[in-house]
Amino acid sequence: MRLWGEFAKGIYKENPVFKQALGMCPFLAVTTSVENALGMGAASTFVVVCSNFLVSVLRKLIPRKVRIPCYIVIIATFVTLVDMVMNAYAPQLHRSLGIFIPLIVVNCMILGRAEGFANKNTVIKSLADGFGMGVGFTLAMILIASFREILGNGTWLAVNVLGERFHNQPVLIAILAPGAFIIMGFILGTFNILERRKAGR
Amino acid sequence: MSASMLMAAVLASPDTGGGGVNVAKMMAIILGAIFINNFVLSRFLGICPFLGVSKQLDSAVGMGAAVIFVMTLATLGSWLVYHLLLVPMELTYLRTIAFILIIASLVQLVEMILQKFSPALYSALGIYLPLITTNCAILGMAVLNIDERYGLGESLVHAVSAGIGFTLALVLMAGIRERLETADVPPALRGLPITFIIAGAMSLAFFGFAGLGG
Amino acid sequence: MGEILRLGLILMLVALVAAVALGFVNSKTAPIIEEQERMRRQEAMRTVTSSLGDSLQFDSLAVEGLANPYAMVDRRLAVVAVSDAVSGDRLGYTFVAYGKGYSSTVQTMVGVDSSGRIVGCSILYQQETPGLGANAENQPWIGQFEGKRISQCSVRKDGGEIDSITGATITSRAVSDSVREGLEAMREQDLFEGGERA
Repeated sequence: MRLWGEFAKGIYKENPVFKQALGMCPFLAVTTSVENALGMGAASTFVVVCSNFLVSVLRKLIPRKVRIPCYIVIIATFVTLVDMVMNAYAPQLHRSLGIFIPLIVVNCMILGRAEGFANKNTVIKSLADGFGMGVGFTLAMILIASFREILGNGTWLAVNVLGERFHNQPVLIAILAPGAFIIMGFILGTFNILERRKAGR
Repeated sequence: MSASMLMAAVLASPDTGGGGVNVAKMMAIILGAIFINNFVLSRFLGICPFLGVSKQLDSAVGMGAAVIFVMTLATLGSWLVYHLLLVPMELTYLRTIAFILIIASLVQLVEMILQKFSPALYSALGIYLPLITTNCAILGMAVLNIDERYGLGESLVHAVSAGIGFTLALVLMAGIRERLETADVPPALRGLPITFIIAGAMSLAFFGFAGLGG
Repeated sequence: MGEILRLGLILMLVALVAAVALGFVNSKTAPIIEEQERMRRQEAMRTVTSSLGDSLQFDSLAVEGLANPYAMVDRRLAVVAVSDAVSGDRLGYTFVAYGKGYSSTVQTMVGVDSSGRIVGCSILYQQETPGLGANAENQPWIGQFEGKRISQCSVRKDGGEIDSITGATITSRAVSDSVREGLEAMREQDLFEGGERA
C-alpha cells in the first residue's frame, strides 16, 4: 500500500511539472503533438526509473563527495542508450524529438529524484517513485500537448477531431512557441484556482 | 598530439577543407542566436533559470553573465574534445556523457574561482551556479554546434550570441517582473502563471525578428 | 591525497563501466541505424525519380570541377546518376540539397531528368517550426517543384514560381534556393542536355 503512495504522489501531489516546475524545457519544446509528448514521456520515464534503480542499488557504494558526478554519468548513460535505441527502432520519432533527447540528461526532474529520493530509499521504493514521476511527467505533457495539438492543428494523436475546415485554418499560435508559454500559464492558473477551492472547503 | 596538428584541426572546419571567416554566415549566426532563434523564447532552452532568477534585475544580470561565461568555456571544451578526441577515436556516441562531464567540471571550477576572487558575486550567484550544470542551454549549445557542423570560430560566436540572447530575455523578464510587484494581477495568476503568460507575449514579440533572416 | 585518489578511481570506474556498456549497445544499434539511413535515402531517391521509369539504376557520379554551393552549411554536392537498369541510358540525376532554414539545415532529396527539369523533391531532414516551416515536407507544397526549371526554382518574392508557405518564407526560400543552387552547379558542368546548358 505504501508503495502505491510512492508511485501515486508523482502523478498529482508532487507532479514534477505542475507542482515542482521541473523539466520545463522538454515540457514546452516537444509538446507540439501528443505523439511527441508520448515519445518524450516514455524516454524520460525509462531514464528516471533506470537511474533511480541504479542509484538506489549503489547508494551505499558511491562516496558522498563524488555522488553528483556519478549520478550524472549514470543518467547520461541511460540517455545515450535511449538515444541509440530510439534512433535504430523509431527513427521518425527520433528525428522529431531531435536535440531534446540528449537533453534529457539535464532534465532536473531526473537528477532531482536521484539526489532527493533514490540515494536514501530502498530499491523497490525508488522504482515506484521513478515510475510515478515519469508517468506524472508524461501525463502533464499529454495534457498540454492535447491543448496545443487540438487548437493548433485540429487533431489529437494525428486524428482529425475538429473537422476539415478547422484543420485548414487552425489557431496556429497554440503550436508555436508563444502558445506553449501562454497555455502553460493558464493551466497553472487553473491549478491555482482548484487548489484554492480545495483549501477553502 | 603535436601543436601543429591541433592548430590544423582548429583552423579547419569539420567537413570542408577549411576556408576563411565568412562574414555573412557569422552575422547570420549572431542575429539568429540573439533574436530569431532566441534560446529561451524560441528554442525553449534554459527555461528553469529564466523562471527562477528573473525576479530581480541585478541577479538576472549576474546570472546572464555567468551563463555567457560558462557557455563560451563549455563550447570551447566540448568542441575540442569532440573533434580532437571523440571523432578520431570513433567514440562519437559518448558525446552526451563527455559534454555533461565537461560542463559539470567547468561549473565546479568557476564556482571555486568565484568563491576565491569575488565573494560578493559568489554570494549573489552561489546558489544558481550549480543550476547551470543542469541548464539545458549549455548542453544544448554544445550539441547544436555539432549538429550544425560549426567550426570552432563559429561555435564560439554562436555561444557568445546565444548567451547574450539568454541574458536579454532574462533581463527583460526581470524588468517586467519588478514592475509586476505593484500591478493588480488576478489572484489565480499570481506568481508562475503570469510569468509564463508574459513570456508568451515576449516570445510573440520576438517572432517579429524572423523577418531579419529574410 | 589517498582520499582524492580513491574518489578519482571510483569515478573513473563508473565512467569506464558506462563507456563499455554503451560501446556494446552501440555495436548493436549502429549498423541498424546506418542501414535505416541508407534505406531512407534509397527510398527517397526512388520516390523523386519514380516518373523516370520502373527499373532504375543509381550510381554515384564523380564530376570533375563541380562547385560546392553548400559550403555555407559545410556540406557537399554529391550527384547520383540515374539510368535505365536494362538499356543503361542516362535518364537523370538525384542529389541532396542543403539549405539553412529557420532553425535547422533543411535537407532535400532532388530528382531531375537529363534536361535539368525537376521531376520530384522530398524533404529528408528538417527541424523547422511545427505548424509553419515543418509543413515544407508535406503536400501540396513540396509537390510544386515537379516540372520546374532552374530559373523558376525560387520563391515568388524573388521572382521565381514557388509559392511560399504562409509564415515560413525563410524555410520556403531555404528549400528552393538550395535546390536551385545545386542545379546551377550541375549546369555549370554541362550535365544537362538540351535547354539547360551553361
